[in-house]
Amino acid sequence: MSNTKVSTLGQPRDAAVTSSQGSLAEEVSRWQEHTRASYVEANPERRDAFLTQALKWPINALYTPVDLEAAGFDYLKDVGFPGEYPYTRGTQPNGHRSAFWTMTQVTGFGSGESWSKRARYMLDQGLSGLILEYDLATTNGYDSDDPMVEGEVGRAGMALDSLEDLEKAFDLPFDKLKYLMSVCNAPQPVNLAMIIAALEKKGVDPKDFVLHIVNGILIEYTCVGRYIYPPEHGLRLATDCIEYIINNHPNWAPISIIAAQLQPAKANPVQEIAFSLTIACAYIESTLARGFDIDTVAPYFHFVVNVDMDFFEGICKLRAFRKCWARLMRERYGATRPEAMKIRMMTSPTTTALTLQQPLNNIGRLAIMATACALGGAGENMTTPLHDEAHSLPAEEAIRVGAALQHIVAHETGVAETIDPLAGSYYVETLTKQIETAAFEEMEKIFAMGGALKAIETGYFQRALGREQYERNRDIEEGRRKWVGVNHLTLAEEKRQIDIFRLNDDMESEQVAKVQDLRARRDQAAVDAVLEEIRKAARNGDNMVPPCLKAVKLYATHGEICYAMRDVFGEYGSDSQLGGI
Amino acid sequence: MIFTGLKQTPEMVAAAAIQEDVDVVGISTLSAGHTRSLPKLARLLREAGAGDKLLLAGGVIPEEDRPLLEAAGVHRTFTMGSDTRDIVAYLNSWWARKLEAEA
Repeated sequence: MSNTKVSTLGQPRDAAVTSSQGSLAEEVSRWQEHTRASYVEANPERRDAFLTQALKWPINALYTPVDLEAAGFDYLKDVGFPGEYPYTRGTQPNGHRSAFWTMTQVTGFGSGESWSKRARYMLDQGLSGLILEYDLATTNGYDSDDPMVEGEVGRAGMALDSLEDLEKAFDLPFDKLKYLMSVCNAPQPVNLAMIIAALEKKGVDPKDFVLHIVNGILIEYTCVGRYIYPPEHGLRLATDCIEYIINNHPNWAPISIIAAQLQPAKANPVQEIAFSLTIACAYIESTLARGFDIDTVAPYFHFVVNVDMDFFEGICKLRAFRKCWARLMRERYGATRPEAMKIRMMTSPTTTALTLQQPLNNIGRLAIMATACALGGAGENMTTPLHDEAHSLPAEEAIRVGAALQHIVAHETGVAETIDPLAGSYYVETLTKQIETAAFEEMEKIFAMGGALKAIETGYFQRALGREQYERNRDIEEGRRKWVGVNHLTLAEEKRQIDIFRLNDDMESEQVAKVQDLRARRDQAAVDAVLEEIRKAARNGDNMVPPCLKAVKLYATHGEICYAMRDVFGEYGSDSQLGGI
Repeated sequence: MIFTGLKQTPEMVAAAAIQEDVDVVGISTLSAGHTRSLPKLARLLREAGAGDKLLLAGGVIPEEDRPLLEAAGVHRTFTMGSDTRDIVAYLNSWWARKLEAEA
């Protein structure tokens, strides 16, 4: 037989050993002792310990079915089928064979007019959805002429003072733009009202357009810092927006849990899943308290999840994330509709992996992370940060490269041609299950301390992230983690090879003049009266969206409405941001 | 060490630095507002007779903004990827030089 002939090409002693019958576990031990041990003795391993990047879990040299068996892996229970519980293999029954994920990019700077110009450029580059970020003045509830925000206007995002700014920003082809995500968490009811009013003015049919508000105030308290009011009031305002959208615009998206903000604050994958999901539970429970049922509420929840450079940790995190949500909705809340158990997700390469040094290297990193996102299931949307972000707001070339990058992953690599192609990998399934198990343990701990709101108020989340930040920094500085351009392959002299985007410095004074001009020509008595209505609604516990809608249409400014609510709710101090180690 | 918290204006930081009589003021800035806020802070400190305090900045600060900031009175910027040990070494040598000058 030809088989016999082939086998004689190998060493006869090996063949004899291999033929002896034994369990797979015995075979693995045999390989370990007979084949690997002597090799490793002669060729020592290149590091003392192989660990996953963020979790620092030991990585075995080899994974086999024995590891799956040890983890209690059960294909039907743990993985199942695409589009079916527990959604480990994705929420879409046909993966990305019917359609790719929606390719999205973040934008926002300057005035309404300049945002509109860049948004048009981005739509022309083949993007079909946009994310609108606002400057720190707006997200912290101030107008552009407030003394608190001098020098910040239009810097980290678009300046938004009144409905007039949005009317200019929305000078866009709404036949191309079908999806807009708006990131304005602390003043969310004001921002939601302004967008509704601006769309109305443009004659956009709200049924033919998806507005997605992030509405993510609880993560702002945890790590980002753009909060205004104390957490309990923040949660109430977020719940007002969820309630308003479910009742009035059921095709819109009222909330996102941006795990992608916890990750750059150095949450490891287990913390990222556990903190995000328990934060989701806080919103869910406050929405259920308004008289909705879980099968109605859960499908409105959406997550944004980053992937870092550890390829497998990232992929397994995405797979475990879907499964943890499904289990949580079914086991904790008794959800019965599949829609309530299918997570909605946007994925993104993380900015944390990008370096200031040798910025073109970041294009390579982004491509690898975008591939990991796709292999992990991608979600409904993917957004890519850009290679020059450590230097400045992205230049136009960086936007083009970022958009092209997603098309390269989608069309050129083949990773989206079959569903969940890494399923069944002994390593991937082992790590997915380990992450899921650890995330549930962490969630139990958080529920036991009273849930996410308590974990924020007591600083538990903040301290946990502080410890991760400290350790990660030590790993890099002490060289345990190699980072090209930072502590490995560094250049003595670096000349920047990228164009830098600069904002016109006149923009701030122009924006200040605009809002002051508006205040001079509007009906001040009507504005004063409506701001009093805002205070009253805030005190009475009414849903804040309708009075905000009335106020923005009278051209009460963003900052004025935020101040009216400050009068009732007070302001939150930033002591909790100390975190500590 | 005094942590002023987030969302501070140059006026607030200068007032806190003077009230607490600190030796070093360290500012983290990520929003691109540094070309205005940092020179203003340096000016406010000087005007209050506190120009001897060491003013450091970190965060997202492009290389070509450094001359502008240094001319305005920011002593040193440590941007993304700076090694914390370098920052500590810089502070130690600054402190040693200061003690020597005062001796």
